[in-house]
Amino acid sequence: MTGRPTRREAVAAALGGASLCAAGLGVRQALARRRQPKPLVSIVRASSYREDLTGKIRSILREHKVAVRGKRVVLKPNLVEFDPASSINTHPRLVAAAWEAFHSMGAASVAIAEGPGHRRNTLEMAEAAGYFSSIANFEDVFTDLNLDDVSRIKLERPRSALRSLYLPNTALAADLLVSMPKMKTHHWVGATLSMKNFFGLVPGAIYGWPKNILHWAGIPECIVDLHSVFANAHDAFAVRSPRSFAIVDGVVGMEGNGPIQGKPKAAGVLVAGADLVAVDATCCRVMGIDPALVSYLRLAAARGQTEEARVQQIGEPVRAVRTNFELIPPFRALRWNG
Amino acid sequence: MRLELVMDSSEQDPLPFLLSRQNGDGGWGYRGPTSWTEPTCLALLALSARQASAANAQAAGRRWLETAYRKDGGWAPRPSVEESTWVTALAVLAGQQQGPAQGVDWLLRQTGQESTILERVREFLLGVKPEYGEGTVGWSWYPGTAAWCVPTAVTILALQKWTRNNGVGTIHPPIQPRPSGRGRSGAEAPWSIQKRADVIQKRINEGREALLARICPDGGWNHGASRALGTDASSYLETTGVVLLALNGLEGPPAKSKIDRGIAAALRHYEQCRAIQGRSWLALALLAHGRRPGPIRIAGAECRDAMDAALLILAEAAVEGRNAFLEGKG
Repeated sequence: MTGRPTRREAVAAALGGASLCAAGLGVRQALARRRQPKPLVSIVRASSYREDLTGKIRSILREHKVAVRGKRVVLKPNLVEFDPASSINTHPRLVAAAWEAFHSMGAASVAIAEGPGHRRNTLEMAEAAGYFSSIANFEDVFTDLNLDDVSRIKLERPRSALRSLYLPNTALAADLLVSMPKMKTHHWVGATLSMKNFFGLVPGAIYGWPKNILHWAGIPECIVDLHSVFANAHDAFAVRSPRSFAIVDGVVGMEGNGPIQGKPKAAGVLVAGADLVAVDATCCRVMGIDPALVSYLRLAAARGQTEEARVQQIGEPVRAVRTNFELIPPFRALRWNG
Repeated sequence: MRLELVMDSSEQDPLPFLLSRQNGDGGWGYRGPTSWTEPTCLALLALSARQASAANAQAAGRRWLETAYRKDGGWAPRPSVEESTWVTALAVLAGQQQGPAQGVDWLLRQTGQESTILERVREFLLGVKPEYGEGTVGWSWYPGTAAWCVPTAVTILALQKWTRNNGVGTIHPPIQPRPSGRGRSGAEAPWSIQKRADVIQKRINEGREALLARICPDGGWNHGASRALGTDASSYLETTGVVLLALNGLEGPPAKSKIDRGIAAALRHYEQCRAIQGRSWLALALLAHGRRPGPIRIAGAECRDAMDAALLILAEAAVEGRNAFLEGKG
């Protein structure tokens, strides 16, 4: 025996060292995650669009300590198709209430913006969906994101096959982009909520109708990539001054073959917060869906936000408002057993 | 000239409104002051169809359109976008002087991504069966994505117009192959005019098959998804108009029965539609199939932008027998 390690021993020692480093890194990441503040998510009961929704939204913004004064706010509802018997779009009264709430709290400007993926005549659809009658001077405050000026944005660490995307300047220039989706099941990804709502930011004038590039590049991955463009940092400044915020219309949502051909489903809630992953995970639990099984949430939950214990939830507890949404057969395995 | 924000289409002439919407750079925009290829092409087509004495406006528009032309032979939706897209068909339709043959060749290199060999092999291996349009070949909005009805229909109209303007027998210099993005390979031998004519006719026929295969159960067309998860989808009025226009002159079974259903759907949509663009597309289509729709202008329907004004002018010119999509020249 010479006292020098053999080649085999040297390789084993190197592998062992690497494993210890990796394990150490994993522990450090887990500890760092634990030290981060839990994202705050509100569940507020709202059984009808005739309630004082402005007051409820003002309360939510105060509870989340969102700095609104002087900010350029853009509200991004979900406007897809119109069928008077269905509940496809974010209700115009909720959008009107948010517009009033942000204005009354001192926003420098409040715009409403959307780029529908199917209909080219956005204003005609908005009129049919009741936006003109619910929101004063709607055409003056509305921007059709499909036809807006654009800038090319390089995606940082993309999950999809895309490396960059053209995005509308109205959304990019906003101090606060408020995602206002309808709470709906979705026939391709299980549920469509505040993150998936950002598909409406992608300009039809570049990519067409529907925005098929997002389908070819991977729907769950594109949801995560788009969210990452507008996601908030997790420092104290970002908590008080978020770049994006979500207010989900779950007063009457949609179950079954969503996002267009499903059936109305009353959940009687608004769900809100600045961490869109945590908001969507909470919505899933309200809908009786396990968020850990929703592919885009699993991809985006770097801070473990799909775990109930990793969310600081205020307002109504999930169990008090849970309303199982009907799932089409390919997604029945997503049912939450919690 | 005072800039009118909205024009009452039931009373006023849309031409001054259209001219007032031309931007300082010579192009036209959708709503704001930024010029885009689509409204600029439609505005140029409208000025040509109206036989307007607006030579300066037309020249400025064409100069702007040259700025959106790309080295690969196609046109970008606006000059700052680094990709040629479906708007190349509109530039060819508008008879843009720079590189129309290159534009045609760019269009001929494109297909919906689902019809590429790679994708068909993948679908075969995975046992995926499309709910509509299986095996057909059309055009996409954006390279590398699926074929949809509007880009397919507009490209058919562009190829038809280019063939009418250039004829089959004319000898043109060989076209150098251009590097293409995605879609069909650009690494092909230069085409003779006869080969290009053959390819154009083949692609027009394939495109029309793709459109006929995507007819909705109500007789019209939407963007191309006539069924989703076993549920029938409804048609859209603008899409029904554009597709029916591209099916002009097609006769004989089985196309005729589908076109008749399309005409019936277009007439139904026309009765209900109050939007200028929708009524104009439907009128252009119905006139192309020998039907005379009711008045295009209706009380309360407002021209909001250059696209509204351009399409209204195009539809009214078609009523007078000049359908810019079906005639020669730009």
